[in-house]
Amino acid sequence: MNALDGFGLDTITFAGPLEAKLAAIAQAGFSQVMLNARDIVGHPGGVPAAVAAVRASGLRPTGFQVLRDFEGLSGHLHDYKVDIAKGMLEMCAALGSRVLLACSSVSRHATQDYDELARDLRKLAMLALPLGIRVAYEGLSWGRTINEYTTAWDVVCRADTPNLGIGIDSYHIIAAKTPPDAIEELDPERIFLVQLSDFMWQETQSFEDRMTTARTFRVFPGEGVHSEALADLVIRLENIGFRGDYSFEVFNDDYQQLPLDVVAARGRRSALWLRDDVLHHAAPLPAWATQSRAA
Amino acid sequence: MNAHHTLHETIPEASNPLGMAGIEFIEYVTNQPLALGQALEAMGFRAVARHRSREITLYRQGGMNLVLNAHPDDARVSATEGGGPVISAVGLRVRDARLAHQRCLDLGAWEVASHARAMELHIPAIHGPGGSRFYFVDRWQEFSIYDIDFTPIHDVDPRPPALAGMHYFGLVQYIGAGRSVDWITYYERLFGFELIPDEQRFGIMPKGTLMRSPCGSFLWQLVEPVPSLEDESLLNESLQRIGIGVPDVPAAVAALAARGVSFVDSAELHPEDRGALTRTVLGNVAFELVHQTA
Repeated sequence: MNALDGFGLDTITFAGPLEAKLAAIAQAGFSQVMLNARDIVGHPGGVPAAVAAVRASGLRPTGFQVLRDFEGLSGHLHDYKVDIAKGMLEMCAALGSRVLLACSSVSRHATQDYDELARDLRKLAMLALPLGIRVAYEGLSWGRTINEYTTAWDVVCRADTPNLGIGIDSYHIIAAKTPPDAIEELDPERIFLVQLSDFMWQETQSFEDRMTTARTFRVFPGEGVHSEALADLVIRLENIGFRGDYSFEVFNDDYQQLPLDVVAARGRRSALWLRDDVLHHAAPLPAWATQSRAA
Repeated sequence: MNAHHTLHETIPEASNPLGMAGIEFIEYVTNQPLALGQALEAMGFRAVARHRSREITLYRQGGMNLVLNAHPDDARVSATEGGGPVISAVGLRVRDARLAHQRCLDLGAWEVASHARAMELHIPAIHGPGGSRFYFVDRWQEFSIYDIDFTPIHDVDPRPPALAGMHYFGLVQYIGAGRSVDWITYYERLFGFELIPDEQRFGIMPKGTLMRSPCGSFLWQLVEPVPSLEDESLLNESLQRIGIGVPDVPAAVAALAARGVSFVDSAELHPEDRGALTRTVLGNVAFELVHQTA
């Protein structure tokens, strides 16, 4: 039992080589890491060396990201995306990650018919199934058709496949001002990933604003101006029975220029804020207490 | 086993989307072909034909075709299983192999690249659990796939009768913890398998989830690991053993025992009228007998 269990950092937050990112995350006390395909493919030793580094780190992969613009395409575009998805799934499996993050499409070439989107996601989930991978479908706040968790959940329900669920990202909910009430309609067992981050502006009106902020100026939970909304979201998830992983999806150009341990320490502070001040989780029992109970 | 032709009685066509009609063959891959061949012969199988270009032997008894694949490229996978033989493929009889294959690919199955050489049959296949494959075979009525790719072994009855009325009953697949619902979905959507109610159990190994093929001619059993004994992060999924149906289990056990096959015989698990389990040989190979009138 670890004080930060249930929370993980994300390789996209850090600069530097994969091994240094993994070491900084582990040294800050985290036991899991969200992996980005670029960190794996861009490893100077290639994918096998990246896989070995992840396995050697002892960190459990929270998930692997990110498959983009998969659903809604037809003809050769669809076939092309199926090939891309297979490549991502094979890497995901090699890394020992049990979750692949798939973001809602921004493509103008994609259909806007929910049933057709669902059919493609059902196919993606079937591709992932023999590999033991679950697909978390996330509504990007600038997605063309699906840009809120509510509609993402609608499509996931239409696809009705056990290893297809929803990925929640607090950024998109806060940026798009999606009311959080519908969290209660989600099945907590089908929320495969929750990504948390905040930002510093009150408003992100346009898709352009949302995209730029999301990619350059997110901050850790507790560091931004939407702490109340973020805390409310986490409490709602807890209340419906979500017990899965929280990962800090913090894209931030400044953090890319800071020492890794400094950034990881911010992540640790954020996890403790969530644990102690938001969720009021009890501190883990000391080892001797759990051991004597088991004996 | 006879097909029951239930298709024409009560089940609508949509419930058998591939026009499935039974198991054409089951394939073991191994780098110990002689040892596995001996074990198969003890079980009543006879080597009847050899592949024209690869180290593959066809064993047969009654309606059961069993392919023993020792081709070096394929046998490498058995090394990953501690050297023991592995059930590496199941050939499924379908109405139209090309259409069945395409339908599965459209739904998200992984295609297997063909190894067929000149004048050899290209048998379309998809990836199954672990490293296994499902082949789709539509040439099983007028002529067979073995007529083209295999050469008969001289002076051997090409159609040896089944010992003790043995026929394929089904397969047992080991799956990861909590994975039943996933694999049920896989077999329902791709093949049209149906769940069998928990009250209906067969043989002496009743654990897990049972599904029935849409043709009604074989069963599929999904077994999750015993809780807490395995690391849940490891999948370790595989086709684990073949179920063989027999009309009279004690008679079959006696006939096989006389040929040197030994059975698990302990306080918890022992041959009964309902079924019996052979002792595991070569690390991985066991057969389960199940009472079933053909």
